Amino acid sequence: MTTTDGGAAFPGAGAAHSTGHHAPAGLTARSQTSRLRTVLALGRVEALLLLRNRLVLAGVLVGGVVIWSFIRSAQPLWWDADWEIGEGLLVLAMAVLAAAQLAAGRARRDAITDLYASFPTTAGTRTAAHLASLAGVAPASLLLIAAAAVGVQLLGPIGTPSIAVLAGGLLLVIAAGAAGIAIGARFSHPVAGVLGALAPALVSFQYQRFPGAVVWLLPWPLESNGAGQLDRLPGPLAGYPPAAAHAGELAGVAVLAGMVALAMTIHRAPARVRAWLAAAGAVAVAVTCLAGAVQLRPIPTADLNHLVAEAASPASAQRCTTASRVRYCLYPGFGRDLPALEAPVDEVLARLPARPGQPLTVRQVVWLSLGDPVLTHGHPAQQLAHWAAQLQRAGILGIPPASGIDLPVGSWPAGGGLLTVARFDLALAAAEWAVHLPGTSGISSTQFMQCVPVGQAREAVAIWLAILATHPSASELQGGLPAGHLFGTQVGNAIVPTWNYPGVGNGYVTPSAGGPQLTAAGYRLASAMTSLPQQRVAHVLAGAWGRWLNWRTTDVQLAAALAIPMPSGPAITPHPSRGRVAPRPGPGPQSPVCTG
Amino acid sequence: MSWAGALPPLARPIIQTMPWVMVISTCLISLAYLAVLAHFAHAPSSPLGPDAVRLAFFPAVAALAFVPRDPSRPLTQTTPVPAWVAPAGHLLLAAPILAATCWAQLRVVAGTVPPHALGHLPAVYPLIAQLTGWCAVTVAAAAWAGRSRYADLSGAIAAPASIAAVALAWYAPITSRFVAEPPGSPHGVTIVWYAVTTAALALTGVAMRDQWHRYSRRLHRPRWPGQDPPGYPFSKNR
Repeated sequence: MTTTDGGAAFPGAGAAHSTGHHAPAGLTARSQTSRLRTVLALGRVEALLLLRNRLVLAGVLVGGVVIWSFIRSAQPLWWDADWEIGEGLLVLAMAVLAAAQLAAGRARRDAITDLYASFPTTAGTRTAAHLASLAGVAPASLLLIAAAAVGVQLLGPIGTPSIAVLAGGLLLVIAAGAAGIAIGARFSHPVAGVLGALAPALVSFQYQRFPGAVVWLLPWPLESNGAGQLDRLPGPLAGYPPAAAHAGELAGVAVLAGMVALAMTIHRAPARVRAWLAAAGAVAVAVTCLAGAVQLRPIPTADLNHLVAEAASPASAQRCTTASRVRYCLYPGFGRDLPALEAPVDEVLARLPARPGQPLTVRQVVWLSLGDPVLTHGHPAQQLAHWAAQLQRAGILGIPPASGIDLPVGSWPAGGGLLTVARFDLALAAAEWAVHLPGTSGISSTQFMQCVPVGQAREAVAIWLAILATHPSASELQGGLPAGHLFGTQVGNAIVPTWNYPGVGNGYVTPSAGGPQLTAAGYRLASAMTSLPQQRVAHVLAGAWGRWLNWRTTDVQLAAALAIPMPSGPAITPHPSRGRVAPRPGPGPQSPVCTG
Repeated sequence: MSWAGALPPLARPIIQTMPWVMVISTCLISLAYLAVLAHFAHAPSSPLGPDAVRLAFFPAVAALAFVPRDPSRPLTQTTPVPAWVAPAGHLLLAAPILAATCWAQLRVVAGTVPPHALGHLPAVYPLIAQLTGWCAVTVAAAAWAGRSRYADLSGAIAAPASIAAVALAWYAPITSRFVAEPPGSPHGVTIVWYAVTTAALALTGVAMRDQWHRYSRRLHRPRWPGQDPPGYPFSKNR
């Protein structure tokens, strides 16, 4: 006796005997035991084949890469990271589905069904063995989960993982395997498995076409799509995602697929067996529907009330610490970030000849999108308007005050080069506060525009302070300069070349009052200042600190005081009447000059 | 007589052995998927775009991966007509079906754009170039997998491999500026994808002309290098 792949024989495989409906009780019990042993022995071999399958191995590898690509960019929050681990398991699930379909359809695809029919084992037994073999992918899934969990732990996560979410990921893989066996039992062509594997991806990538919480009924909604606000929450939110119910849905689907696969291969089974299959299928359908209904329920109003309150009035939930006369307010659990925040701010403050009168506050903020139906489905429009008004009143959706720096939850990097960039952004925001650089100018009661410190000495001072505080790489700083073509912003009737500081679009930090649009000239002068002895620059700044903070003091005057030539670069050009110089899409056609 | 003279009589068996059901059904699945999306995309704020076409083309590309497979290659290889004629004929027959699917998909997407939408619609020719290149890469992967010991599963290997390769090229920072739009320009992206198509077709030709026959398992090993055992007919040295 050999395996279906021509491998080594296994014990007990040939021990199955066909039994009639009227066999003695002892004989029936013995043959049932024998059949179970056959299923287990076949299942063991199939599990090994499944684990060795290149598709499954590639699925483990690609799944790991996907998880790493998701979790490495920002400091992991476990209530978000565990769902992202599930996204990697979705890749493994797709591979397992295709591999299981290939295994289940092997006999028909290779035209050896007649040969199999001559074996003592029935088609139903072999299908049961295929289903049992799915236990073999559990270790692969657990290995991937464990490796991902170790990776998350190494990045210093906040919170604790949800067992329900991780169990849901494991069930996802098993359900996909069962679905693959069901497909293979009916369609033996490999394209059926490939299409079956693609189906979850095709649906998940276009989740936004489906209304409200229907997204939770998908195999595993992508965090970048359906569960898009998980990484912005200051803590876990009950029912978002509905992990336990989703795991129940996947378990129901797995059982249902298994029953369908068995029903399609057991043709001459006794009525009692068919009845059991039908009953199990009905229970699976009921469980799936029940779990789906639970997932479609709206998140309780009390929980959303609490979340909106945390976002609208952070002071009620945050813990504040004052160090070096700077107030740091962080949500519970984020206290470990305090040293990483203090260091760049302290480095800037240490170099100031004099500090502003207003105290600086560095606080975390939650950027909630209440228009996301996945989060707020099922709640009346009046309630949504009330929550939106709460957030608007608190200014969370607007611009931080002039004496505050906002840190959006979930944006702080875990480490590496991104952390250096984030530290620079925080230092720059602190330096802008220190030199009184306003960020915005109101053009109406509701509209604000970034101002531009054209030719102002304090801009170069702020950039110089931030560079000295965090020492970012020269290439990152230079990368924000216009390259090849001129880009800038229109101020008055001229195009001013601008400088995009490192991490400008990453949203690590929202500077006080939104932060100004920095200019290329300001960066070039600051860069030249860093090549001078630090004592010399500090002496010049301390000598007339109030003068350098005045918006009328020019960068040319600062360069002269430092006895260095003003660095050359693309000059401010008149606004072209034709498209010779194209301003970048930015704050608008006319940016104001930073004054005051 | 040249083998080309045998081509007209071969047309009928090639048409008969073409996997019509698989190709047409997967193309219909592609269209059905896009139609469902279009049904939910009637809100003017969410018209379908090129991404939806790319996603919807997945099943058609997956089916294309199985077209070059010729299960009777051991037999056709012994005939005077080159063995690549049958898979090449199948590919030629599949090409218009895929082109028609692409055209229909673009029509479906265009139908979801409001008639008075602001701004210009994105150019279609880079998308067509990308789908063409994607198909060519898939066919090349299938042809090469078909000449390996995994010939039976060449399509099952080529489909995910080509999708993964294209996705990697699309998202990797080094390559995305050449193959994705944006950051690449429509003209540049089109040129790159047609260059990829040309290279992939050349590789497909090389793989299809390969004459060696490969077993999935080597049943007998030669007792010493360079000598095959008696009765081992498909030797490299023959």
